[in-house]
Amino acid sequence: MLINSFIIILREVFEAALIVSVLLALCQILQLPRRYFLLSFMLGSILAIVYAINISSISMLFEGVGQEIINASLHFTSFICLQILIFSIASSSSSKMILWAIVGSFSAAFVREGFEIIIYILGFVGIEHLFDSVVAGSFIGAGVGFSIGVFFYYFIVSFNPLNGLRLGLFVLILVSGAMIIQALQLLIQADIIISQVPLWNSSGWVRESSVTGQILYALLGYESTPSPIQVIAYSASLLFSSTLAIKSLNAYKMRIKE
Amino acid sequence: MRILLIIYLITMVAAATAAPTINIRIHNHLFYPSKINIPADTKIKLLIDNQDPTAEEFESYELNREKVIPGHSKGVIFIGPLPVGEYPFFGEFFPKTAQGRVIVK
Repeated sequence: MLINSFIIILREVFEAALIVSVLLALCQILQLPRRYFLLSFMLGSILAIVYAINISSISMLFEGVGQEIINASLHFTSFICLQILIFSIASSSSSKMILWAIVGSFSAAFVREGFEIIIYILGFVGIEHLFDSVVAGSFIGAGVGFSIGVFFYYFIVSFNPLNGLRLGLFVLILVSGAMIIQALQLLIQADIIISQVPLWNSSGWVRESSVTGQILYALLGYESTPSPIQVIAYSASLLFSSTLAIKSLNAYKMRIKE
Repeated sequence: MRILLIIYLITMVAAATAAPTINIRIHNHLFYPSKINIPADTKIKLLIDNQDPTAEEFESYELNREKVIPGHSKGVIFIGPLPVGEYPFFGEFFPKTAQGRVIVK
């Protein structure tokens, strides 16, 4: 149980830590206050607890697919906030907008990953022979996930501000695409979007269950058997986010020249 | 714009078509039944009843499905239409025992 808890919690924390570390690094590069992260942490925690407590009734909403609809909405919220963030970097007068976009994307990531962790651990309360190993495995998994986030943060801020911003925006472009592909997957699972024949099957190269597959899932939203609608939406997302990022980078370069 | 509207309507009508339901029970961290036979090219609604006090996460990389089913709760997952083949699934929280497969004929 210890190893299983370690893997489950590491996977959830890694996904959230990736986004949070990039957002923190961007705050550092753009010299924005970081007190909003505390607000995001508190908001995300409260919403994750509320979601976890009410998961049974939420799951049965909309004829049994309430969980998928809420999770897809959280992914779309993250996507929209990340686009606002990427776009707002272009303007020196929109630091408030950037901060609120950070609050939105941080909180959505925290709720998404946090509620699963809460449900998982709470399920073992009262099962004495398993609880200790679950908590121990969870702590170790969370610690490793958190450490990866810290490493990634220092990796980004170790570059000069322009290259750090380039790297941070590049990761946010990829994560935005991942949000879209995961949201669509949930809507397909809920039968809101029709299930289509996959365009390809790359599981022979990279299995989704492998470590590489899990890392690619968090970073790129990797699916070994994506449907046409997912590929189209992912490509559109990459194109849209990249256009915004190029505009913002050009505006930032102009600002630092002045 | 009109084409997009038509595609949207076709999608919604197709999605709204009722799917046959298969009931799956989770008990003592095992799936009952653990083998589910379904016809090819048919959409199926899985109604999963978790009778354990602990939560379970229904997961299948082959089916592209993932859903948390809280303890003493139910959850719905749609699968298919699928081509002929075998599609394993497992409970992520208890992967050693909670295993099953969808057999599409």
